[in-house]
Amino acid sequence: MSCAIAFEHVTHRYQHAVAVNDVSLRVEPGETVALIGPSGSGKSTLLKLAIGLVWPQQGRVFVTDRALAADNLLEIRHRIGYVIQSGGLFPHLSALDNVTLAARYLRRDRQWLDDRIAELAELVQLPRDALDRFPNDLSGGQRQRVSLMRALMLDPAVLLLDEPLGALDPMVRHGLQEDLRRLFQSLNKSVLLVTHDMAEAAFFSQNIVLMREGKIVQRGSYRDLIDAPAEQFVSDFVKAQRGLHAEALDA
Amino acid sequence: MPDLRSLCILLMLVAQSFSSVALAATTVIGSKAFTESVILGEIATQLTKEAGFDAEHRRQLGGTRVLWSALVRGDIQCYPEYTGTLRTEIFSNRNISSDAELREVLARQSIWTSESLGFNNTYVLGMRRDRAAELGITRMSQLAEHPALRFGFSNEFMERADGWPGIRARYRLPQQDVRGLSHDLAYRGIESRSLDVTDLYSTDAEIVHYDLTTLIDDGRFFPVYDAIMLCRDDVPDAIRSSLNRLGGQIDETTMRKMNARAALDREPEAQIAASFLRDRLHVSAEAKVQSRIARIWQRTREHLAMVGISLGLAVLVAVPLGIVAFYRRGVGRVVFAIADTLQTLPALALLVFLIPWLGIGYAPAIVALFLYSVLPILRNTHTGLADIPRDLRESAEALGLPRIAMLRYIELPLAARSMLAGVRTAAVINVGTATLGALIGAGGYGQPILTGIRLDDTKLILEGAVPAALLALLVQWVFGWIERRWVTAK
Repeated sequence: MSCAIAFEHVTHRYQHAVAVNDVSLRVEPGETVALIGPSGSGKSTLLKLAIGLVWPQQGRVFVTDRALAADNLLEIRHRIGYVIQSGGLFPHLSALDNVTLAARYLRRDRQWLDDRIAELAELVQLPRDALDRFPNDLSGGQRQRVSLMRALMLDPAVLLLDEPLGALDPMVRHGLQEDLRRLFQSLNKSVLLVTHDMAEAAFFSQNIVLMREGKIVQRGSYRDLIDAPAEQFVSDFVKAQRGLHAEALDA
Repeated sequence: MPDLRSLCILLMLVAQSFSSVALAATTVIGSKAFTESVILGEIATQLTKEAGFDAEHRRQLGGTRVLWSALVRGDIQCYPEYTGTLRTEIFSNRNISSDAELREVLARQSIWTSESLGFNNTYVLGMRRDRAAELGITRMSQLAEHPALRFGFSNEFMERADGWPGIRARYRLPQQDVRGLSHDLAYRGIESRSLDVTDLYSTDAEIVHYDLTTLIDDGRFFPVYDAIMLCRDDVPDAIRSSLNRLGGQIDETTMRKMNARAALDREPEAQIAASFLRDRLHVSAEAKVQSRIARIWQRTREHLAMVGISLGLAVLVAVPLGIVAFYRRGVGRVVFAIADTLQTLPALALLVFLIPWLGIGYAPAIVALFLYSVLPILRNTHTGLADIPRDLRESAEALGLPRIAMLRYIELPLAARSMLAGVRTAAVINVGTATLGALIGAGGYGQPILTGIRLDDTKLILEGAVPAALLALLVQWVFGWIERRWVTAK
């Protein structure tokens, strides 16, 4: 396998605006890439393009070396785990049913399901009894852990995480950040993660992709962005992110 | 998991258990929605039974058009009618001059006519008995001799060519004090002596109640409205000859007294009919008067059958339609345009409109209620689907479930609460609207309401209105329970 995800000159326009403009990007197997940029820079749209929630008007998207098309979409989606900021858990299903829905639809047997659930609960550190509850009865952090379990259930090659920690309070967020990084390292998945927090991006990955107005501005490590900014915007963005910390320390 | 199928099955079971009303090989006799017609219908029914046939009386079915088309379609086999009504309403374009000619025209339409029952229910003029005696008036021609008499006529009578303008010309009446007012006020005016003469129908119960004298139409001005029975040709001879025994048996006074017993003394029509048959024809007819509980139970079954079946069908049609309307916007626009239009049709108009196709009874009532139920269910299904948050919809898609599985496991359960609210709205509306079913022979709680309005009997109105209100509450409660039990998002 030569690449996990590849965008080749992909352009996507919403009704009035260009969200993604001629973007090419590759994520290698086992690699974690952090997408960062201001709101509306096209990060989330890029993720949606990768899982076929929106389609490019120009260019092509490959997942595990296969071009995304209507006839292989469902199959490719089974090889992708997708987690969004709100968790996207179905409120009418228990946490367990949320996690197992796709697998049950694919008729995985009972034993397989039980083993997999035990394994994943351990992995994301979710107490067993939380699985019997409904999403509205779970804490924010637990919801994201369940959402992560759901994404991992079919053992996908690719994880797409759209600000998975964005809605959590700082303490919970910190705990989950640690767990996630450990998980990425141990599972050896290809991860494309969207965040708006530079520190978080740097924490997860040496591969940060900074986007602005639908285009990739620079790709590199946190160090690269600071030491060799591709343009003024990169410095401004990094400075803005650090600014608050610096000011708080100075005060 | 919320399961709409079990809800549908539940509704169908309810409907099915109440819909076993078979009418095979029964002679159905209809009557119009006024007391005299109901009494005559009851007499005919009991006479038919006495002749050894199964007979059923579909009482107070509405107006002439409804009964006539029901007769022609064969939904009813017989009903009491007036020759004048047939001439002016049914065959108005034929200019039929005699009863013999009318019989021929009817025979050509395969309708048999009984002999005249013996009374002519036409317009008459009435006066207080003592006032008429005092002036020595018995005939209409004598009115011209008393120019000071005060006339009070119903507003319709004031306008009609065969009303006041006609009699004034025919009898050359000189009176100046002529007022138009409502019938009720006219009676009171006569009673308090502030009026001398008013218009009446010749068999009105009020003639008995206010002890009025009716003046003889010696100038033969008013058209003849002889009462007859109409039957379809295919009604057995034995029934027809049995009904012919009524020929000439009911004169105006007799009919007037029977009307008074029903309208003023609140005597059940069945009992009045039975005593007439006993006294006049020496027929031992049985007045079967149901107990109140039995009556209410029967109407409950009829009402539930109408509501249950129509609602079940509406769910089966409107839910899939709502789903299609959501995913195919073009189809949705057409579907909603039609459903919105249907909703604006007045219920009564819709019912009468359906009679030529579906006859009377359950079928048109259920179809009308079905049509009214479609929109709320359709709209709420559509809204329920449209209101699913985008992130949930995308999360569902991202799982890689095919369209149909997404619909079943994610979208329909999430829309279930809204859909159920739609069914609930439709059900409550149906419980109320189904009371109109009584107008077209489907029975239900509308039956006592209709009778109560006809007889101005509040107790009877409540006998229908209270159970209908309770049923509406019960429906609310049942749907609330279903929602808590199955659909509540945890």
